[in-house]
Amino acid sequence: MTTTRRDFIRISLVGGGALLIAGGRVEAAPRGSWQPNAWIRIDPDGNVVVIIGKQEMGQGVRTSLAMIVAEELDLDWKTIRIEQASTGTLYTNLNTGGSGSIYRGWKTLRPAAATARDVLVRAAAKEWSVDRATLRTEDGFVIDARGRKRSYGSLAAIAATLEVPKEAPLKNAKDFRIIGRRIKRIDGPAIVTGAAKYGIDTRVPGMKVATVVRCPVPGGKLKSFDGAEARKVRGVRDVVAIPNAVAVIADNTWAALKAQSLVHVEWDHGPNHDFDSDRYIDSLLAAPGEGRVTRTEGDVNSAMSGAATKLRAQYVYPFYAHAPVETMNAIARFSGDSCEIWAPTQAPNRVQEDVAKHVGIPAARVHVHPTLIGGGFGRRLGADYAIEAVEVSKAAGGGPVQVVWSRTDDTRFGHLQHATVESMEGALDARGNVIAWSHAKVSNPIMSIFPPPGTDDPWTWIASGQVDIPYTIPAIRTSYVSVPSPVRYGPWRSVESPASVFGRECFFDELAHAAGRDPLQMRLDLLGGSQKVKVGPREIDRARLRRLLETVRDRSGWGKRTGQGVACNIYDGETYVAYVVEVTARGNEWHVDRVVCAVDCGPVINPTGVEQQIEGGIVWALTQLMTEI
Amino acid sequence: MPTYNVRVNGQRRAVDVDADTPLLWILRDSFGLTGTKYGCGIGVCGACTVHENGSAVRSCQIAIADATAKNYVTIEGLGAASMHPCQRAWLDEDVAQCGFCQPGMLMEAAALLHAHAKPNDAQIAEAMDAHVCRCGTYPRIVNAIRRASKA
Repeated sequence: MTTTRRDFIRISLVGGGALLIAGGRVEAAPRGSWQPNAWIRIDPDGNVVVIIGKQEMGQGVRTSLAMIVAEELDLDWKTIRIEQASTGTLYTNLNTGGSGSIYRGWKTLRPAAATARDVLVRAAAKEWSVDRATLRTEDGFVIDARGRKRSYGSLAAIAATLEVPKEAPLKNAKDFRIIGRRIKRIDGPAIVTGAAKYGIDTRVPGMKVATVVRCPVPGGKLKSFDGAEARKVRGVRDVVAIPNAVAVIADNTWAALKAQSLVHVEWDHGPNHDFDSDRYIDSLLAAPGEGRVTRTEGDVNSAMSGAATKLRAQYVYPFYAHAPVETMNAIARFSGDSCEIWAPTQAPNRVQEDVAKHVGIPAARVHVHPTLIGGGFGRRLGADYAIEAVEVSKAAGGGPVQVVWSRTDDTRFGHLQHATVESMEGALDARGNVIAWSHAKVSNPIMSIFPPPGTDDPWTWIASGQVDIPYTIPAIRTSYVSVPSPVRYGPWRSVESPASVFGRECFFDELAHAAGRDPLQMRLDLLGGSQKVKVGPREIDRARLRRLLETVRDRSGWGKRTGQGVACNIYDGETYVAYVVEVTARGNEWHVDRVVCAVDCGPVINPTGVEQQIEGGIVWALTQLMTEI
Repeated sequence: MPTYNVRVNGQRRAVDVDADTPLLWILRDSFGLTGTKYGCGIGVCGACTVHENGSAVRSCQIAIADATAKNYVTIEGLGAASMHPCQRAWLDEDVAQCGFCQPGMLMEAAALLHAHAKPNDAQIAEAMDAHVCRCGTYPRIVNAIRRASKA
């Protein structure tokens, strides 16, 4: 699409279904509109609207999901209109995490669009009394053999009288006109002009703004507080207790922030008052045993005992904060028997369910309006900040209140990526072949925001990157050693994989070094075959990973300079990736000169979006290594 | 209570607030100019960057009492007539991911180009160094500034 201001205004008006907030419930579709399924609506004015059921936090999903629909429905991309879905009977999985929006959307949106197109073609055939086989579709029109055209909008009323089929033929990839093209982000013009509305920019009539003073230690309790000084700040309406915290309710954000630091609170810091992250990591390093075995192949113990060379290593991974630039925030209006929430959330349906459970009303009485998100990275899969806003609205008498977290709040009360120790053992035979591999992940597996893994669950999800080690090794054991911690813990970018893959790939290099073998070639040697095989719980195709390693080897000029390193991974059995990184060391400092990356994520909807994600992932990882460890 | 007059995007506006109220919150809460973002409140992330008499400043660090008699421009005013070359370059280079930090980045970049029409890479790095983008758009930001400087 062209990114003119006119486009931007149009998009913001239309996309504003969730953004232009009138204070009421989201309206049902306009009267007389035809909605063949959850994702497509044709309004009486002829506009075709693509409804977006995943949350935008920078991954470009509002653009790429619309592209999938536009392709299969044969829409004119220049006239594309989108709306963000809010919770409701049609929208029960708006939750967005684990990098699944595209591969899942690919499976659901194509049939949704193809069946809608099928109905429109039949509607035109009926209108013109012609054989549907003589009709084709292009840019939002049905066209007959003589060149007569009917817009989709003009056919909607007839389409509404026809049955939507369960399935319809999908386009052949060679006929794609939109998928695979570099398409500009739908939200781009709004972002660069400052018009894009995130959660913190959302306004509801009559809204107050609040901050919350929380216990600095997880598990601590509120004993007493004195809000007299905070109340003196101009614009502060009230300083009130909410469960285990104190809320400052004000007319504006600055008053709420300023008064937050003037609330005097006495806490009972509870059993975790002396928790220390360094001591916790020491306890991970010292944790005994192999823990809960999640994958076992061959006889690791006997292979280890008969090995020519044995190596052991432990990789320490610290606690990490998500630190999105938009701090946590949410608006809640709680009337007692219903609740409305506006929030930058990755998980509108989790917020809906968790709030309903928390206040004891049916989920259908909780309506969640998701907004644009200023950085998610897994932090916004938690419902904690929305539940807290409901408590503040309740304490404020039920009116709409926006709870804003300061930067300090956001860092202190986040749900961190948990510290782990990756405890590795490996063995080589006399010829330098890897004959045994053991990887114990030592950490706390209980995420604060999800139910704990069940007893029959092989904990495969929490061990991504560890349990699904892709290499062919005769004896493999992976396990999880659980060491409880009170630290609030949630998923992060790539969920659980970074710590596991960091340990796994580093240790693989140690084995290659001990064997005197090239680490890239040794990976290729252990990724033979071209059929899909099962590794732990996942199905992978080693040939896809091999091709990527060959690509980065050839493109980087592997082996022609010093300071090169290699790593690869298959994320969730879906996305294959390989890197060569070139580093120059200067004394104790190091500089990353170049990163060569090859990625195979299956069909690419928007190449620009994939590149942005990969670039962002590289910067994220380097930031971790250079500034946070 | 004192009334402060502040000039934003060419308009003189009056606001009745305490003297220590940061310009950031006047823009966002009093004037509804939410394109200027809150990221840290201590002047280190750059999300709240606006122009003060043409220079890039952190609006969270300017008390309203010090903001009178100066001209401020926010992201909403930057391309009000037609898009600033930086805004166009940002779209051409597909810079934004989540986009939250981008208004601050754009205001810094526009001020840089105002001071140095053809900045070299060291000048670009120096100007943009104190801005945080958690999505990791930095390489594209550099490309966009280079592109805008040629426009």
